[in-house]
Amino acid sequence: MRYVNSSNVKGRPVSQVNAQRGLSSRQETVPPAGRRQLSDMRIVQLFILPTIILLILMNIFPLIYSLFLSFTNYSVISSDPPVWVGLENYTHILSDPDFWHNFATTGTYALLSVSLQTIVGFALAMLLRSKFTGSGIITTLVLVPMMLSPIVVAVFWRLIFNPSFGILNPILGFTDINTSPEWLGDPALALWAIVIVDVWQWSPFVMLLCLAGLSAIPEYLYEAAAIDRASAWFQFRRITLPQVMPLLLIAVLFRTIEAFKQFDLVQGLTFGGPGDATETVSVELYRLAFQGQFETGLSSALAYIVLVVIIAISNLYIRALNRLREG
Amino acid sequence: MANIELRGVEKKFGDVFAVKPLDLTIKDGEFIVLLGPSGCGKTTTLRMISGLEAVTDGQILLDGRDVTWLHPSERDIAFVFQFFALYSHMSARDNIAFPLQAAGMARDEVKQRVGQVAALLRIEHILDRKPGALSGGDQQRVALARALVRRPAAFLMDEPLGALDAEFRETMRAEIKKLHLAQHATTVYVTHDQIEAMAMGDRIVIMSAAVVQQVGTPTEVYHNPANLFVARFIGSPGMNLVKAKVEAGGVRLPGGSLAPVSDRWRHALEGSGLKDGSVVLGFRPEAVQVRDGGALRAAVYADDLHGGYTMLHLELADGEIIHGRAARDALNALGSAVRFDLDPDMMRFFNPETEMAIPS
Amino acid sequence: MANAANAPRQKVVISTRVDKVSTGARLTSSFRATIAVIVALIMLIPVAWMAMTAFKTRPDAVAVPPKVFFEPSFEGFVSLLTSRRQLTNDEIAVYQQRTDLGWADQIALIRGQAITGPSAFPRQLLNSLIISGVSTVFSVGFGVLSAYAFSRFPVPGKDDLLFFILSQRMLPPVVVTIPIFLMYRQVGLHDTHIGMVLLYTAFNLSFSVWLLKGFIDEIPREYEEAAMVDGYTRLQAFRKIVLPQATTGIAATTVFSLIFSWNEYAFALMLTSDAARTAPPSIPLVLGTGGIEWAAIAAGSLAFLIPVVIITFLLRRHLLRGVTFGAIRKG
Repeated sequence: MRYVNSSNVKGRPVSQVNAQRGLSSRQETVPPAGRRQLSDMRIVQLFILPTIILLILMNIFPLIYSLFLSFTNYSVISSDPPVWVGLENYTHILSDPDFWHNFATTGTYALLSVSLQTIVGFALAMLLRSKFTGSGIITTLVLVPMMLSPIVVAVFWRLIFNPSFGILNPILGFTDINTSPEWLGDPALALWAIVIVDVWQWSPFVMLLCLAGLSAIPEYLYEAAAIDRASAWFQFRRITLPQVMPLLLIAVLFRTIEAFKQFDLVQGLTFGGPGDATETVSVELYRLAFQGQFETGLSSALAYIVLVVIIAISNLYIRALNRLREG
Repeated sequence: MANIELRGVEKKFGDVFAVKPLDLTIKDGEFIVLLGPSGCGKTTTLRMISGLEAVTDGQILLDGRDVTWLHPSERDIAFVFQFFALYSHMSARDNIAFPLQAAGMARDEVKQRVGQVAALLRIEHILDRKPGALSGGDQQRVALARALVRRPAAFLMDEPLGALDAEFRETMRAEIKKLHLAQHATTVYVTHDQIEAMAMGDRIVIMSAAVVQQVGTPTEVYHNPANLFVARFIGSPGMNLVKAKVEAGGVRLPGGSLAPVSDRWRHALEGSGLKDGSVVLGFRPEAVQVRDGGALRAAVYADDLHGGYTMLHLELADGEIIHGRAARDALNALGSAVRFDLDPDMMRFFNPETEMAIPS
Repeated sequence: MANAANAPRQKVVISTRVDKVSTGARLTSSFRATIAVIVALIMLIPVAWMAMTAFKTRPDAVAVPPKVFFEPSFEGFVSLLTSRRQLTNDEIAVYQQRTDLGWADQIALIRGQAITGPSAFPRQLLNSLIISGVSTVFSVGFGVLSAYAFSRFPVPGKDDLLFFILSQRMLPPVVVTIPIFLMYRQVGLHDTHIGMVLLYTAFNLSFSVWLLKGFIDEIPREYEEAAMVDGYTRLQAFRKIVLPQATTGIAATTVFSLIFSWNEYAFALMLTSDAARTAPPSIPLVLGTGGIEWAAIAAGSLAFLIPVVIITFLLRRHLLRGVTFGAIRKG
């Protein structure tokens, strides 16, 4: 039997008996539907309803609609209704060397701009890492480009790239107009020109994330390394880099997704030209859907292919992020 | 003020019990402390009383009124949170007035009530400051004022001193106790700090692993723990618990020395159906009486000077360490052998199988 | 109850920390600062050049070699904001005699032009303002409600839903636009303010839900719980406690949402043509009578960028959160 203190009647050790009762022989009484639970549920429903409606209206329905269109032969400017053609649009696109060329252009562009941004952004972060008088203002100034409208950025870079009155060539030391590079007119340079602008605009983004990572490194790690007489390079490789890596990874994935979406800069700088030198998938998609023949069916199929690629990349991003949060 | 009655109240998250079915009656004006290690279900219990957490089963009665499924705002209780939950965008005065405004009280009356409670807690001078500009202790006073101003049926406090510095904690502990005595308000107080529980509670409800282990006054739970968990948990250090064998003259400790027990205990032990005489002997450090010629032997393992007394760590023959209180001028070389007796009135016994205390 | 933990402890009065920095380290740091300033200035050359071009005359804007020093002029702004007509030589002579010309007319007259009225740009700027303003109100309004629900309640399928909401932001705008273009044409929303507001609201909602959820997650639940115990319903607690506590977050989200819609180009290019056309698709198309008017384009870009630059400075503490959808917060 249980120990009950003699001097106190009310001090009852009660619960173990009840616990057993609770497991085995408790009468199953269903709690009455509580008012609170109901009203909370109502609030949840009310609060997420507008978001859900907008999502269905502006995202889910259009996606289903364009999935349907991607299996049809249809143009918005013709009066003919959509004609079901099955997978024809997809096979057409995937067997078209132009498409693969566009994809290769997009991939090259993404690789070049993201890797350069990573290097420049990281370097900027290392530079702005330690505080000095005015470092806050300098940091914010460096961040300005990424807040600007890409199309406006493209426009004023067009002015800067201009071979005759642009300021870039003189700065780089090309003073003779006849021999100086034509950034946007030369097929070999045009993609680089877009990469330069993208790096200019988005290195600050990488910098911002790296700065966050750097500021989170506890000082004692460096103090311990200094006591152990570790070299600067060793400190960088064994402390700085691994600690910043997770945020750097996020920056890279964010930028990769954005690079695959790239439309504004290309449209503003080169319209995909010269020839098809800078024709990224997004630009090609725009041309197919909204210019010339308005090939709605075909462009929907292309849109879905792009969609799958982007989803694959963003999945990568989410997974990396989750691993980061768990670790 | 009101009494609170829990009838078979339980909480499950999925298949896991956060609180196993629990019966408890809290008397009008009583200060009851829910005590236990983190994750034992004490806070969940408190939140179920408040209505912030829905019960899985059972009934909660406030003054005989079934409030089990009422919204927290309909229960007429006040809740003091661990991190005070003061609204940082309002001044201390507005924070205190907030619950009264909920009831739609007239402005004059709100002003008067806030003034009264501010005077009671001596915080009139900080009423116009925002919580961010207040010290931890003052924030706590404002939080208490916000609870008091309502004159609710009961106060529920969830580790209200947990976020304070050690210094403030003692001051506030005394203040809350004094307030309780003045207001005579039914209070349920959650803490993991057994010293706080002992100092404040009329009764203590000790919980572990979703189960109530013992309900009793501070003296009861200290001197007569219901089981091994309570014995270990209450006191700092906890009760010494030593494996022993019941023999004719008393109980034999590891290493062979025999501790004599009183007649009363001898009868109790004989009638308790222990398996081959194995028993756990429990005694508080203050039951240890170090003296030459004592019946029990140990070696001094370490000693801590506490100013008013010395806490000896004594190593028994099987390597077990027990704690014993000795006079502050007691000098014992580390490693030296000592002899001691146990105060026969302060010995307690537990069944090693069931871990429950053996009634005398 | 005497206890070791409660025994008075001796306070440490004298700090043992010594902040001694060697001269070499101090030099390195000021060297670093210099480099940082130089790099920042280099990064800002393009923006500065654009700002300068905005105040150049037409010939100065395309001078070879580029002019760093020039006499400032408002010609670019006049060209941007007005439509003009080329005058005949006779008319020019008459105009030059007139004394009732405003300063803008005089600037136009230098190029032998007369102002006939405002250009489309002011209206497009106004469109930008209306569309981004209204869509921001809706996206933040709906966003804060959903974010609260997602933050505080176990919504079934919450994680999937949140991921789905986020994934909308990952899609290239062109992909989403094709079906929306068709849909809008069906229901007559093409080139309307309502259509653009609807689209931008949906587009920014994903962002605001994520960002605001992060902010609301940081408001302790105890705040509402305290209010509810004190006699308020959940809705009242939401209105009186959560909303005021989330002010910073709501402000940051609002500004980000404003910037996103303000800067948006692709949707506007494809879904508007005239009535609801916003500024971004128009800026590259500000053409003069004789070729591209760079001064006017620069003036337009400048007018467009200034608010964004100001906001960047106001928002600097929340930039990290904003650009990563609230995924990363700095302590």
